[in-house]
Formats: sequence, C-alpha cells, structure tokens
Amino acid sequence: MEREVIESEMILPTQFRFKKIQMHEKYTKGQARSRQWKHLKQIIPAENYQNYPPHLPNYVNIESPPSMHPRKQICDITGFEAPYSDPRTHMRYANTEVFKIIRSLPNEYVQSYLALRNAAVVLK
Amino acid sequence: MEYILDFAFDRLGADRSPINHPILITECACNPVHSRSKMAELLFDTYGVPSIAFGVDAAFSYTYNQQRGICDKDGLAICSGFNTSHVIPFINGEPVYEACCRTNVGGYHVTDYLKQLLSLKYPHHMSRLTWEKVEDLKMEHCYITLDYASEVKLFQKGVKEAEEKTRCWQLPWTPAPVEEPPSEEEVARKAALKERQGQRLREMAEAKKTSKINELENELKGLEFLIHQLRNVNGIDEQSFLSETGYVSKQEIESAIVKVTQSLRKTKGGQEEIEPDVFNAEKFTLIDIPDNMLTPEQVKEKKRQLFLKTTSEGRQKAKQKRFEEELERERLNKEEEQRRIENPELYLEQLRVKYKDLSEKVDQRKRQKTNGNNGNENNVSGGVGRGERLNAAQKERMRLLATAAFDRGKGEDTFGIKDEDWQLYKKMSKDNDDEDEGPNEDETELARVASKLREIDPTFFPKSEAGSSGTEPPRFRPLTKEDFQILIGVERFRCPEILFHPNLIGIDQAGLDEMVGVSIRRLKSSSQTVEESKCLTNSVLIIGGSCLYPGMSERLEAGIRMIRPCGTPIKILRASDLVLDAWRGASSFASTKHFQRQVFNRTDYYEKGEDWLRQYQLKYTF
Repeated sequence: MEREVIESEMILPTQFRFKKIQMHEKYTKGQARSRQWKHLKQIIPAENYQNYPPHLPNYVNIESPPSMHPRKQICDITGFEAPYSDPRTHMRYANTEVFKIIRSLPNEYVQSYLALRNAAVVLK
Repeated sequence: MEYILDFAFDRLGADRSPINHPILITECACNPVHSRSKMAELLFDTYGVPSIAFGVDAAFSYTYNQQRGICDKDGLAICSGFNTSHVIPFINGEPVYEACCRTNVGGYHVTDYLKQLLSLKYPHHMSRLTWEKVEDLKMEHCYITLDYASEVKLFQKGVKEAEEKTRCWQLPWTPAPVEEPPSEEEVARKAALKERQGQRLREMAEAKKTSKINELENELKGLEFLIHQLRNVNGIDEQSFLSETGYVSKQEIESAIVKVTQSLRKTKGGQEEIEPDVFNAEKFTLIDIPDNMLTPEQVKEKKRQLFLKTTSEGRQKAKQKRFEEELERERLNKEEEQRRIENPELYLEQLRVKYKDLSEKVDQRKRQKTNGNNGNENNVSGGVGRGERLNAAQKERMRLLATAAFDRGKGEDTFGIKDEDWQLYKKMSKDNDDEDEGPNEDETELARVASKLREIDPTFFPKSEAGSSGTEPPRFRPLTKEDFQILIGVERFRCPEILFHPNLIGIDQAGLDEMVGVSIRRLKSSSQTVEESKCLTNSVLIIGGSCLYPGMSERLEAGIRMIRPCGTPIKILRASDLVLDAWRGASSFASTKHFQRQVFNRTDYYEKGEDWLRQYQLKYTF
C-alpha cells in the first residue's frame, strides 16, 4: 500500500466482493504501483491542447493571468509594509530592528524565508 | 483514488457484487481528458458500474443555492478550495467555462504559509507545529482584513487594539523545579562523610607505605647478610653457594643492594629532602676547577655538570617568578575586592564600561578580520567573494592565485625549476592565517571581565548570547512561561491575504477579487451580451472551505467595487453551507430524471472515443 493510504489510517480488507478485479490481481506483488500515476506536469503536455482552437476552454488556458495590481512589498519577517530591501540577503524589511534580525539570521533561515515567496537561490 | 472508492463503497454497505448504481463524480473545471478516462476506466472495469456522469462541484453548489433562492440564475461563483480557486460565471444557470479562471492558490497554501512562518519564528518549537495543529490554528484564528495596509499599521505602531488582536498559544509548560539549598545538617553530614573517607584513604596509604618500607628493609638486611656470609665462604665453595642463593655473581648482589637502598630512600621520601641538595653540591664539584687542571674526561664531565646546573637554576628562577606573579594577582584581586566593598555601584559601573570598551575593541578586530562583515556569523554571501574588501594578506594571496592561473598558458613552463617556486604553494594555501592565532590579550581580558560581571551582576549577560536569543531558546536563564508561547498577530491576516495577493508566496497570478474582473472580461470577449455581464456581480456566490474566513464577503465586495465601473450593483452571497453544498447539489441533481439522461455507460465510453469524452459536459438546468 502507498504511504498516504497507511497514514490516513483507513482500514481496508484485501478482498471486496463488489469489485470485479481485486487490487492484488491488478497489481502483482513487487510491481512499482506509484509509477503509473502520471503527474500533472506529464498529463498536460499529453493532452495536446495546441491542436484545439484556442477559444475552447481547457485546463491550461483557464488559468488566471498575472495580477495587474502593483505588487505588494511586505517585510519577510514581520509582514509590515517593507520600503527597503537588503542587498546582501535580498530580504525585504520594514525598519532597522528587523534589519538587525535579518543580519543576525543564519543563511538557512534567510533562504527559507526567501523560499516562502519563491525567491530563494536554487543551486542546480 | 481506488482506495478511497474502496473505502466509500465498503462503508456504504455495498457487499453484493458488483455496484449496480449510476455514479456521479465531481471534477474540477476543464478537467484534462486523461484524468476523466482513467476515472471512467477504473469505475467501469474494476467496479462494474453501469453508468457514470461527470460534473463540476462549484456548478452543483451554485445550482443548489439557486434552487434555495440564494442566488440568481445569472451570477458568479467564487470557489476557493484546498489547492485551487476558481471563478465561474453562470448565465441562465449554466456555467460558462469559456470565461472561468483558475488561480493555483487555496487552503493548502494558506496553512503551509502559516506553518512555515511560525516555525521560522519559533524554531525551537518546530516539532509542536504539526500540520494538523496549524490547520486548526488557521480555522480558528485567521481572518481577512478589509485593508491589509492599514491593519498592519496598527500592529506596527503597537496600538492596544493590535495587542488585543494578537492571539497567544500557550504550549504545555511546567516550571522547572526550584532547587532548595541543602540544610545545614545535611551539609555537615556530607562534610563529615567526606572527611571520614579522606581519613580512611590516608590511613590506607600510610599503611601501605610502612609495609613497603619494612619489606625493603628486610630485603636489604638479607642481602647484607648474604654478602657477609659470602666473604666467610672460601673460593671453591663460592660457586655452589651463589647458585644456591640464585645470584650469579657478587657484583649482582651489590647492585641489588644499591637498588634496594635507593627505592627505600624514595619511599621514605619526606624525611630525606635535604639529601638531594647535598648531592647537587657534590655533583657540581668540577665546575669551579679551571679546565687546564683537568683530564679530557673530566672536561667532558665538567661540561655536563655546567649544563645541568644552569638548567636547574633556570627552573628554580621560573618557579620563583610564577610564585611572584601569583602573589601579584592575588594582591590585585584583593584590591579589586576592596574597591567593590567600598563602593559597589561605582565598581559595577566601571566594570561595565570596561566590558563595553573591550567588547567593542574585540568586535572591531573581528570585523577587520572578516572584511566588514559586521562580525556576524552570517558571512555566507560575504566571505571572500567578488566585490568584498580584502585585507593585505588576502589580496596578496588572490594575486598569487591569479598569476598562477594565467601564467600557465603563455610561453614555456619553467615553474618548479627553482626551489622558491614551491614556496608559492605554501603562501597560497595560507588563507586567513591570522584567524588561527589564539585569543589575543583583549579577548582574554574580556572573558575575565565578563565572568566577573556575571558573578556580581544578576542583570548582566554577555552580548553574543543576547544577540542569538532570537533564534534559539535563551539558555543563560531559566525558561519561563513566555518562552513556551506562540504569538500569532500579523500572521492571522497575513496568511489568508495570499488568496488576494498570490505573489506574496511567489505565485504570479491574479487574486480572488481580480479574478472576478478577469472572468467578466473574458465573458465579454466570448460574445456575450453586455447587459448580462453587468448584472453578474449582483449575485456573487462564495463557495469552498477557504471562504470560511471572517471578513471574506466584505473584502470581496470592496475588491470587486474597485475594478468594476461605478454604480455596478454588487451583492456577495454566502452559500448555505460553504463546504458541503457541492455534495448536496450533486445529490439532489442525481435524484432527478434529468441525471438519468446524461449518464454514459461502458459501451458509450469505449465506442465514442476520447474526443467525445473531452467535449462531454453536463447540463445542470432542465
């Protein structure tokens, strides 16, 4: 059974009389079951949306466009409005006290704060 | 999904094979055909379901509420779920997918954001912040502000109102047991016990020593007697006598005597302190005699003696010096103590000033060393990177490295012919070598002053520890109730704010209020009449678990008013049950005749093909 199923603590018998094909018949032992679930990133290219007229709605083109409002700059730590940004860590901050905190933070914390708004430095 | 279906059917009491009911499955708007076909295959093949239908949850919910008279047949549904948020316009009770839009922000993101923020704020309580707990916190305390900027100002100013809005979560905490100082009786008892043990040890050592002395003396006597006897025995019998005693020769016996006497002297120890001195005086007999009066061997001996004498004298001098230093330190300490007793406050003040001076000095040094890195441990982005200032030694090193790198290419390589070339590597490898020197004078003095201050001043704590108290539980004082509190102030409305400003978590899409504008715009472009789109905002239904936050309707109304033309009627309506209405709608829909006409069965699915499935859409009105 998959990890998620075990975590959810559903108690399931192995045999269901209402099923035509039992779970263990479909997936013989040892077969990697999770491999056949496609990720959304794999599904979308397989849909071949480019072959269909663009005015028809599909999963991709109903996504919202980027916001037209000016971006809100808020302090990464306190959530206050942040007029400043630290050139070294690239964190936004509201005032000098927050700045002191930022400068005393170890790098991993800085990175996880940045990761919250998807701005962390990702090493590949 | 199969497990979920197993579970559901099992709990519904399906025990006869197979399931003999049509199934209505909800899906998201514009579900990819791959997901649809997988689901259909699973239901048809594994469970033997006769027929199925797919419908959008938000549409069921809207229809249900329309039947209840909550919303009109033309309107908008704002549905914010766990992973995504949708805005779907409805015209004549039918969803218009051409004009709907989706932003990938939902309850999951809010909880995750809250969890991350809190665990970064309270790193030492991270283990307490489980997903379930944070979810509970979110449900209970999060709310949506009408205006984020003005709300946050309140907190920034620290107004009383903000304090009232701050929630406090007290983690289980028990005060550390206060250690009672042991009573006098106990102290006395312990001291006596210790004394007794010490006494016993001393006695044991004494007994051992005397027994050893006795032993040695006996041995010595025996050996002396042996020699005495040996003298009496004549030449021929000597061999046999010796073999009887176990010794090979007379010399051996004598050397044994010498050994025993020496060890005897050592064990007796204390009483014979003076003797070595006498020895010393004897040892250095040759020193005062001029060289020309001695044989070559004696000259050698004299040199050795001279060396021994100087070293022993040097040792004595060092001892003397150490002793004097000790005295001096004691005297200084006493003086300080005197001053402290005379005027404790002044003394404390002086000490503090001294501490400050010293720590500044040390800090300055450190900063110089780390090239203006403010003496923080946070020099990861700093270090020896480009654009950072370097001190002279580091500059030299960089120059060497650079020249070494560029020299390689041009001309013939003569590196390594001269021996000095190899010195280069030594210079290069030395990075920040001044870091390695031990703590300088200032630092030791600083440590001394700090320890002194700590002794006499309860309010004092060293600077470095104070600086780090933000990230780890302060260790230098007993933990208090406050250390086990998790305060949630700004986070209460900061986290749900991402539904309106997804860029706060780095998702570059329109927020809920803007999505309404986007949706209406798309509706217009897909050739719908303008009149219809105008009155859409008169019936905006909010659905979904993420719309449960208090203040949601007000905020949406304000947001929509901003983007719609002046005078547009706006009415925000809450669904009768935000979470379960989709199920209720689907269930009432499934019980109509209308549903029976829209299902498709296994043969339909396999004969009509993928394109048909792609275009399959449920009609919600009849």
